Amino acid sequence: MTRETEYAIEVDRLTKRYGDFPAVNDISFSVSKGEVFAFLGPNGAGKTSTVEIIETIRMPTSGKVTLLGMDVTKKKHEIVHRIGVLPQAFSSFDRITVRETLQYYSRLFSVKTDLDGLIELVNLGDKTKEQYKNLSGGLKQRLGIAIALVNDPEVVFLDEPTTGLDPLARHEVWEVLLGLKKKGKTVFLTTHYMEEAELLADTVAIISKGKIIAMGSPGELIEDNANYLALTLRSVDEKVLEIVQKLGFGTVPDKHKNIRIRVEQTYDVQKILQAIKDAGARYRSLDVRRPNLEEVFLKLTGEALREELPEMEAE
Amino acid sequence: MNVRIISANLVVKLLSFYREKTTMFFTFAFPIILILVFGTIFMSQDSMEYRLSVQDLDQTNSSAESIKTLAKKGKFKITSVDPAVDAVQYVRDSKVNLLLVVPRGYAASLMQRIIFNDYSSSVTITYVYDPSSSSVQTKMQILNAALAGINQGMSGRAPFIRSAEKSILTKKYRFIEFFVPGIIAMSIMTMSLFGTVDSDTELRQKGVIRKLSTTPITRTDWILSNVLYQFILAVISTLAMLLVSYAVFDVNLHIDAWLPVFILLDVFAFVGTGMILTRFVKEAQSAAAASNAISYPMMFLAGSFFPIELMPGLLQTIAKKLPLYYVNEGLRASMVFEDNMAALRSAAIIGVYAAVVFILGIMATKWEENQ
Repeated sequence: MTRETEYAIEVDRLTKRYGDFPAVNDISFSVSKGEVFAFLGPNGAGKTSTVEIIETIRMPTSGKVTLLGMDVTKKKHEIVHRIGVLPQAFSSFDRITVRETLQYYSRLFSVKTDLDGLIELVNLGDKTKEQYKNLSGGLKQRLGIAIALVNDPEVVFLDEPTTGLDPLARHEVWEVLLGLKKKGKTVFLTTHYMEEAELLADTVAIISKGKIIAMGSPGELIEDNANYLALTLRSVDEKVLEIVQKLGFGTVPDKHKNIRIRVEQTYDVQKILQAIKDAGARYRSLDVRRPNLEEVFLKLTGEALREELPEMEAE
Repeated sequence: MNVRIISANLVVKLLSFYREKTTMFFTFAFPIILILVFGTIFMSQDSMEYRLSVQDLDQTNSSAESIKTLAKKGKFKITSVDPAVDAVQYVRDSKVNLLLVVPRGYAASLMQRIIFNDYSSSVTITYVYDPSSSSVQTKMQILNAALAGINQGMSGRAPFIRSAEKSILTKKYRFIEFFVPGIIAMSIMTMSLFGTVDSDTELRQKGVIRKLSTTPITRTDWILSNVLYQFILAVISTLAMLLVSYAVFDVNLHIDAWLPVFILLDVFAFVGTGMILTRFVKEAQSAAAASNAISYPMMFLAGSFFPIELMPGLLQTIAKKLPLYYVNEGLRASMVFEDNMAALRSAAIIGVYAAVVFILGIMATKWEENQ
């Protein structure tokens, strides 16, 4: 029976085991209707297992998952009509064109879809006759998002929609996702890109080793867990590192002669720069910024969000 | 079951097939090429003419006449060899596998026997041959039979034992008419098996099936659309094979309702086998190897290319356990021998097999991630 609720998704004490390994370990959370909810975590944290259970692809080991008031283990056939899914590493039929692919999925849902509107939304207007195999990675993902929307779903699941894309393609996908947000869709996003979660999500849940370790808006998470500033000095003299350490600040140098310094307040930045100037030491450029979810994740788990952290770019 | 979904799936499969020219070529052209190649080989065997080198050391009208008679009786095309050359050396050097040497004095001995009724008069014709050649024994047997016929004729008496042929079949058939139904059965098997295993494994590996499992399409819709797709391809391929066989070899094959029945049973049997196999094949790269492991022994053992009676007893027993054998037998019973009872027997056996493997195949097909 469908239950009217303010939540699109309610997850209660969900556990998923593969043999003895608990991929998802007793987690609970809820997603309000109309919000963009991001599941943020490194590879193997349990993101995809969780999302695939909610999408009705996998069965839970224990716990209860309700989607639009329906039990996901019992109402698959009703649920699939009301959700749209972009699975992880999405792929489609190689020799079918963009328009034919959308027509195909539209027929699977037995709905009349405004294909032109959908194609416009994902900005694929000049690629409608292109076969899937000839599309670039970014275009494939945009087609995948359009497919997820053919049935005008109430909840859209996007499992790592930008993984493996170059920065330009990633930004193009983000544009599409911002368009979805504007339309007021409930979006469940899994990602290991903190920029993506910060840019798109109303609520972020950080998952590590199958457990949710923090949840809230990106601003709240940063405020609660990383209340400091990050000063970065680029192409520094050898003396600079010594000066900063003498002042008692923690430093993270890299191989490009950049150093990242953690400071508590704006005054500390002035103090460091003055000391460098007084010593006649040099650096090429600097920036000061608030920490992001990457730092929050590092602080909470002691491990990197991605296997390879991006190095600080040398100018 | 949703007809709209099945037809949507069918359209995508047919479009993909139509745009994959290499697959299309191998699916349709390969069996036709087999028919053309084997058909041509065996057609020429029906009117086979062997080349025979003859060295006539006698060089008389009588010896020349006898050689002509021999050529006619044994269907030989004669090449004359210079009497001056060494026969053994000639066979070695010229790569012929058999040289017939007619001795000097042939005409004189013949006269002695016919005119003077001297029955002790005889000649010896020598076969100089290369025993490493595979066809030389056949040639020598034909020559022996022809010489026996000539000897019998010269005796002037009627033979005591004669032979008469009586076929149990209402009509005589040529090898090509035996061959075409076998190739139809084999190509439908290959098409259905490879089509199912390759396509399902690739789509599963690429995640397309996972995506489809979040849409209203069900496992039954997916499987039925695949069966329908394979059936359409099988019908087109069969029509193409039959057209070529009629046009090029003027085959005399009987087409009735059994043909679509056996095509359908062949499709069900091997789509089902393919679905079971797909369960165990994890990667697209190993799909072809797995299909080959099933199809190769089947096509060579089940009598697609030649009658299983040519094989040793154990292999014949194995052949009769193979599903393709009953499709071959059924198609030949209906198309060549017009034997409805035999066709019904084969249809019943392959029908039971198809039903069992198809149900097992449905059970083996993973749709949701059931873990």
